[in-house]
Amino acid sequence: MATYDFLFNGLGLRDWCDQVATPGPMSMADLLARGAGSQSEKSWMQSLWELPFPSLDALNQACPAVARSRDLTRWLEQSFLNIKDPMKVVLDPMTQPLSWALETALHIFTTTPWWVMLPLMLALVWVASRSWTLLGFVGGALAFLLFVDHYSFAMQTMSIIFVCAFLCVLFGVPIGIAMSRSDTMQRLTIPVLDMLQTLPTFVYLIPLIFLFSVTEPKLYGIAIILYAIVPVIRLTDLGIRLVNKDVIEAAEAFGMTRHQKLVGVQIPLALPNIMAGVNQTIMMSLAMVVIASLVSAPGLGVLVLRGIRNLELGVGLMAGLGIVLLAVILDRVTKAALARVNAAASVPRH
Amino acid sequence: MKRTLIATAFAGLALPTAALADCGRVSVAEMNWASGQIITRITEFLMTQGYGCEVTVVPSATTTAITSLAENNEPDVVPELWVNSAPAYFRLEAEGQLVKAADVFAEGGSENWWVPDYLVEAHPELATIEGILANPELVGGRFHNCPDGWGCRIANDNLITAFDFAGNGMEVFNHGSGDTLPASMAAAYENREPWFGYYWGPTAVLGRYNMVAVDMGPHVPEIHECNQTQDCGTPGISSYPAAPVLTVVTTDFAERKPEVFELVSNISFGTQELSNLLAWQADNSASAEEAAVYFLTTSQDTWRGWINDAAAERLSAILQ
Repeated sequence: MATYDFLFNGLGLRDWCDQVATPGPMSMADLLARGAGSQSEKSWMQSLWELPFPSLDALNQACPAVARSRDLTRWLEQSFLNIKDPMKVVLDPMTQPLSWALETALHIFTTTPWWVMLPLMLALVWVASRSWTLLGFVGGALAFLLFVDHYSFAMQTMSIIFVCAFLCVLFGVPIGIAMSRSDTMQRLTIPVLDMLQTLPTFVYLIPLIFLFSVTEPKLYGIAIILYAIVPVIRLTDLGIRLVNKDVIEAAEAFGMTRHQKLVGVQIPLALPNIMAGVNQTIMMSLAMVVIASLVSAPGLGVLVLRGIRNLELGVGLMAGLGIVLLAVILDRVTKAALARVNAAASVPRH
Repeated sequence: MKRTLIATAFAGLALPTAALADCGRVSVAEMNWASGQIITRITEFLMTQGYGCEVTVVPSATTTAITSLAENNEPDVVPELWVNSAPAYFRLEAEGQLVKAADVFAEGGSENWWVPDYLVEAHPELATIEGILANPELVGGRFHNCPDGWGCRIANDNLITAFDFAGNGMEVFNHGSGDTLPASMAAAYENREPWFGYYWGPTAVLGRYNMVAVDMGPHVPEIHECNQTQDCGTPGISSYPAAPVLTVVTTDFAERKPEVFELVSNISFGTQELSNLLAWQADNSASAEEAAVYFLTTSQDTWRGWINDAAAERLSAILQ
């Protein structure tokens, strides 16, 4: 006898319940109860202790017409399969440029010879940081990767990060600005951002395979972008909101329009925060490299996975070290750029 | 008052295991896929209820199980170990640390290359590898390969060379994980699109979708042996043999508990039997435990043969 029989009997729903008398599969508890026999009548205290919450499954035991929770998940699956075709028509062409960008970047980064790539990257470091120590460190790290034959894997990883981080900034900064200008927008966006940071990647990646071909690079592109875009949005919003109210008032006193205020005052003053967001975004894209390799992203993540699967600890450690080196390089360079932005911001303008 | 309540609660829990033979603690690995989970649940039930063991189920996977066995000599029992994907097993067995208890799939697992049935119905020539290589566009022009680090990846890569995929205009897509491979198959099947790739069974996915095994010619042991090595100089054409799928126990456990070891070495399933079970589970969206109960209640003749008389007597109360 199920606990909630009284509920359906009391409401006069018994007939409706028993229309569909298809009992669910027998559970282990039922089977064991069969062995214990019906002779052991439970005391009221014991049945109180074991009182189930009126969940779908508990109600289903009393009334077979109530759906079980597995019917709910099956219904979710079925509705996804039903709407996937229209979704595919919209989402597939929309995300196609991401595939092209990733393919092109991979092609450029991996086919350019190392003796072109290395000076180019060092020049970039110099422009960003103007620091000899950093230049020496980056040169040394890249030379090390070249020396241990991990350079091409590292470049594949770099190209993916490059594209994804760029797109994160491209979309993240405007979203952050919109959030800072409207409280409603902020209230609506923050739960989405929280979800993106916590939702396990594979929960949405596997359904995405039903929409896009699994062979498309955009699958891992989407996974990285959705995870890494969060800090740049948050910090852009925060940065603009933190701009001193007096400065804004002064700008208004000069008769600046909303647009002039944004471009001429708010964004420049928020730049240190935005740059910190960019730095975090790059770091988080790098953190997703191994997960992205689970959906066929090339690069150091593949080596890490191979190391794990074959218990080749050395392979895993070496590739892990490569990822750390890339992370330190990207972090130090963006931090150095950030420091220069800060220094420039603190100098009074004439 | 409170104490009585808790005592009553615990009395309820302790009831089923009371008055049974002394077996002690046994740890059983539970693989993270459907058939492995069902087998673990059935093993757990028979050990607990028939032999009075205190079973700890350890969630595991092929690599983690074999690593744990090598380093910690635990868990005691690992059902459904696909030893081809865990080469370390052979070393551990030679060293005497592990014992093979049983072929848990009586006929072995089947590894193969597959195409969906609707493709073969439309184009019967796609049932053989020659037909596929002659018409790569009919199967989407792409072979879905195993992830890096899997045993099948090496064999597939050598077969791909032997069949000259590049020369026949067949692309190879290397999957990143064991999750995207079945997802791509399922997505293609739901859309009735072409698909051609590697998979193995009995599995929930192959139970759910009607795939046709591609005829790759006869199995030649010497060629397959070479194909399974990374630096095979002369990859040849040979289909996959039945894959050994074992229940593995630690030597220590086999010596400590001969009775339970005997039970474990008897547990073995026919391919058809297990496929039916997996199909039932999918149709009813049942949990592994419910599938185990379904097997225990409907296939009593099978498992009656696995247990000894004392256990049969103890279980007779539960299962008439």
